Amino acid sequence: MELVVALALNGLVWGLIIALIALGLSIIFGLLDIINLAHGDFFMVGTVLTWFVLEATGNYWLAFLIVPLVGLVLGALVERSVIQPIRGTAALSIVATFGLSIIIQEVVRAGFGAAPKRILPPIEGTIPLFGIEYDYYRIFAAGVSIVAIFGFFVFLHRTKLGTWMRAVRFDRDTALAMGVPARTVYMVTFALGFAMASLGGAVAAPITTVDFQTGVDVLPFCFMAVIIGGLGNLPGTVAAAVLLAVTEGIVTSFTDPTVARIVSLCLMSAVLLARPHGLFTGATR
Amino acid sequence: MKERINRTVLLVVLAFLVAAPWVLPAIGFDYWLDILAEIIIWSLFAASVNLLFGYVGLLSFGQALFFGMGMFGVAIGIAKLGLGFWPALGFGMTVAIGTAAVAGALAVRLTWHYFAIITVVFSLIFYFLALSAKPLTGGDDGTSFSMPAMLEAGGFELSLTDPTVQYFFILSVAAAAYFLKYLIVKSPFGMALMAVRENDVRASLIGLNVYFLRWITFVIAGGFAGLAGCLFALFGRYASATYMFYHVSGEGVVWTIIGGAGTLFGPAVGTALLIVVREELSNIWEHYPILVGLVVILTVIFAPKGLMGFWNALLDRLAPAPADRASGGGRPNGAVDAAAVPAERRTGP
Repeated sequence: MELVVALALNGLVWGLIIALIALGLSIIFGLLDIINLAHGDFFMVGTVLTWFVLEATGNYWLAFLIVPLVGLVLGALVERSVIQPIRGTAALSIVATFGLSIIIQEVVRAGFGAAPKRILPPIEGTIPLFGIEYDYYRIFAAGVSIVAIFGFFVFLHRTKLGTWMRAVRFDRDTALAMGVPARTVYMVTFALGFAMASLGGAVAAPITTVDFQTGVDVLPFCFMAVIIGGLGNLPGTVAAAVLLAVTEGIVTSFTDPTVARIVSLCLMSAVLLARPHGLFTGATR
Repeated sequence: MKERINRTVLLVVLAFLVAAPWVLPAIGFDYWLDILAEIIIWSLFAASVNLLFGYVGLLSFGQALFFGMGMFGVAIGIAKLGLGFWPALGFGMTVAIGTAAVAGALAVRLTWHYFAIITVVFSLIFYFLALSAKPLTGGDDGTSFSMPAMLEAGGFELSLTDPTVQYFFILSVAAAAYFLKYLIVKSPFGMALMAVRENDVRASLIGLNVYFLRWITFVIAGGFAGLAGCLFALFGRYASATYMFYHVSGEGVVWTIIGGAGTLFGPAVGTALLIVVREELSNIWEHYPILVGLVVILTVIFAPKGLMGFWNALLDRLAPAPADRASGGGRPNGAVDAAAVPAERRTGP
């Protein structure tokens, strides 16, 4: 029972981090119609940047500030150089972002090295929770993710830029006619997606390993959350990420992780085939 | 004109491929025969991606599944079931095509992004299954086997252990498969596929069964990928789950798009180019994938129709087809035409 609780809690924490990353994937897909195969690598860049910040300053908290900012700049650069020229051709976007993924992984392998490294969490210790001793840092990580997700929704619904983003997504031509600078909105959206993924990396760095290949594992999971939540349905994405990770955590406590992964993949195929617009379509439209 | 140039190039390439086992050692490139065999196998895999994406417009990111099925079919058939050469090949093909028939029946109900994603999901499911079914597949380490003879009659034995025999076996199988692809693409069936690619609603309105056409193409493409997997298993004498990961499918897509989707030989060109780049550069520069990624992105931005599209456009400009010449009376392309005439004489037989 204790194992089930621990793994379910781990799933919840991991699900919230994934939700943060998958939200970035979802806005990039919803607004730019880009299937971003490099999104897992944006997360990986976040973990690696965290490692570098820690090496340079010795202060973990600085990483929470610097990493998303660097992500924002990198995202804007990538949008201008790679995404802008091919926007509107979904098939080509898959190929271009696959190329981008190769480049990012190889650059990190060259600069950071091929050996995985571990980062110690900035807060040590455990607290009693539901009858088990649970890591303090993981609860903190869940908190940061929740605040970031909440902040994103506030940004989307309460600021001018956020309103523009929703307007361009709803009807690009009308938004352009009303004077919304669509190109800037595209760039901000992509940059924001990168920043959220890298913030996810900064949060998750002490929980996973820092390795140039972690993105490859994270990417399918994010896609599952986006699909099961419904493409472009942002609250659905968050709910699906948490649901998937908790399910996988609980299944893991009975069998091995590979089988748990197979179970969630089968679940996802069923959702795709039966309800291709996501589990929550009825609730939001 | 354009056709004639392309046919000449094709004949030259074919002649080189047939002569390669003698030519390559003569000029001191012994181990390139193996690389050439590998290129031929992977170009079959790219052809599988191309059949789906280039001709019915379905972008599959899961062709590695059928590649892996063919691979494991052969390896398990020989190592675990004790099958001979031909039965193992047949077993591998049956497994690959059977999987494609079932997976396709589900997958082609979806199109576009959804199709791309469900093919990844299917291939991931079987990737993890192959990883966890260690007793059968060997997981990450894979299954290796020793090569059974292809033909045994009296004291005579023909086996792939002879590198030249192996090369010609791979070459002839691939040539047959490419000829089949040519027949498919040029047939009324191929035209129907392209109609589905261009506009599936119109295609269904003129009476084409869009679902069936997509499904049967999925099965044929699965067969191509499976054949590539069978050949690769025989070539390396082993099978491994790593070849079922979606990165392998992604490489197939990249080769196809770089070479030119929707053209018969584009995928082979893309495969050859990127494998040669890999072989040449990996010794010189450890981080050569950066260059590969750059080439991919630049191709997508500046030559979205791939190298074959670029080549064909170039030929069209240097030597317009007669129909173009007749219709383009007002265009100032006389100078280009004049330059094209001697070119025709030079390449003519």
